[in-house]
Amino acid sequence: MLTAAALCPAPPLLARELTGADPVVPELRQACLDAATELVRSAPDVVAVVGTADQTRAFGARGTLDLAAYAPALGRGGRDGAAPPRSADPLPLPLGLGCRLLDQAGYVGQFVLQAVSEQASAAECAALGASLADAASRVALLVMADGSARRSLKAPGYLDERSFAFDTQVTDAIRDGDMAALLALDAGLARELMATGRPGWQVLAGALAGQRAAGLIRYRDDPFGVAYLVATISPAHEPTTTSGRERG
Amino acid sequence: MSDSTGARQPRAQEVLRLGNRAFPPGQPLVMGIVNRTPDSFFRPAVTWDEAEAMERVHRVIADGADIVDVGGIPAAPGAEVDVAEEIRRTAGFISAIRARYPQIVISADTWRHETGRAVCEAGADLLNDSWGGYDPRLAEVAAEFGAGLVCAHAGRQQPRTRPFRVAYADVMADVLDQVQRLAERALAAGVQRDRIVIDAAHDFGKNTWHSLEVTRRLAEMTQTGFPVLVSVSNKDFVGETLGLPPEQRLPGTLAATAICAWHGARIFRVHQVAESRQVIDMVSAIRGDRPPARAVRGLA
Repeated sequence: MLTAAALCPAPPLLARELTGADPVVPELRQACLDAATELVRSAPDVVAVVGTADQTRAFGARGTLDLAAYAPALGRGGRDGAAPPRSADPLPLPLGLGCRLLDQAGYVGQFVLQAVSEQASAAECAALGASLADAASRVALLVMADGSARRSLKAPGYLDERSFAFDTQVTDAIRDGDMAALLALDAGLARELMATGRPGWQVLAGALAGQRAAGLIRYRDDPFGVAYLVATISPAHEPTTTSGRERG
Repeated sequence: MSDSTGARQPRAQEVLRLGNRAFPPGQPLVMGIVNRTPDSFFRPAVTWDEAEAMERVHRVIADGADIVDVGGIPAAPGAEVDVAEEIRRTAGFISAIRARYPQIVISADTWRHETGRAVCEAGADLLNDSWGGYDPRLAEVAAEFGAGLVCAHAGRQQPRTRPFRVAYADVMADVLDQVQRLAERALAAGVQRDRIVIDAAHDFGKNTWHSLEVTRRLAEMTQTGFPVLVSVSNKDFVGETLGLPPEQRLPGTLAATAICAWHGARIFRVHQVAESRQVIDMVSAIRGDRPPARAVRGLA
């Protein structure tokens, strides 16, 4: 059974060291940390971290976040320094960022690290979510998922006006605990909008199947044309204990 | 240092101390030139007036200089400037800078120990001797005041003389030999190791080919472990290389600056501080020593 769920975006720039001297998005990082902290507070037996990747598979909890793929200079002692050892099985970015958030939130318990294919159907995602929720008697779910990357002329995918209705639909569904609406998202449209989080949202919906839930939106903005949504989702039997704030 | 076999083992760069400041490797420093002379080669006399000179101090610090270098004698031959006049031009001015900027590192460009003593009493942190230790007592003054010392290669030149048919079997070998010998002498005189800086002294006792060679091979200096100062700003080797007069040497200066930064130089003595700072910071980021100011491209 799910004790709580949290939703965070997974852009590389969530890693503080990637943005250089300027923190760039301190509010986003704080909102994510707040959501992770709230998740840990639900006293789960295991936290399942879910994120989109090339294929659906579980990763070992010893995997590492390999930021050198994004910034080769990180972790080296300058021009003449040796490159850091590369992990044999680096975590996909969303899972690595999720693990880091849980570390920052002080979580020391068990993990399940679950990648879900960008190609997975809604039914496959829902089934995966249901199985994760059954992994222990108290499971917390951290879903790392991003909305459309086509929300402005300078967005990574340029502007697609359909992004706004799509992302609003997702946000409303999260806020209202409307899991059916998440399962009904159009995978093809999500792909066109570069909304990489679609499988993760549908895993969440599957994990919460049959439970009433309420969402607390902690952050909602698109500073670089990508929709970032941070939320805490509480099953009806686990009322939300803290208040957050909404942006955007 | 050479070991008993004559082979040199590369040494890592360590913390450099200047005044009460400590600068780690990977933090290049810009030294802004403030000439208290009427006849320097680059923009002569613009800071001969003391008020103008203090204005320039304000500007170089605002532009990002970590060190202010005050000199009272041009490098080129010309009217004699005796010790009393050199001190008159520099010591009081250094006192005024120190009063205004308690934390800025102040360097004095001199080879004479009498001047060295006067400027250290006035608040200088570094004695920048471009003339290769011509006055051995300068190191003793640096030791006495806990100041830093620049150990430069001037070939076999006397102060304020121009190179005349200079030749080296291997100019970089000569540079390394001389600056390390001077560094040993400074250590023996009591100068602290982490306050000793070495300098190839571009154009000093060198023709243009020699200065290009030491630029190309500057890594051999940084591998000694001593922090390396470079002073290439608008110099004749840039002018001869590009066929340009002093006022048109900025791009060439910045190119040489970039190469020296890439090779790991730690202090850059420059006229154009803002432009140099950008080049040095850019190279520092390419080396991986400095993060970008703000990186979001492709990371959202």
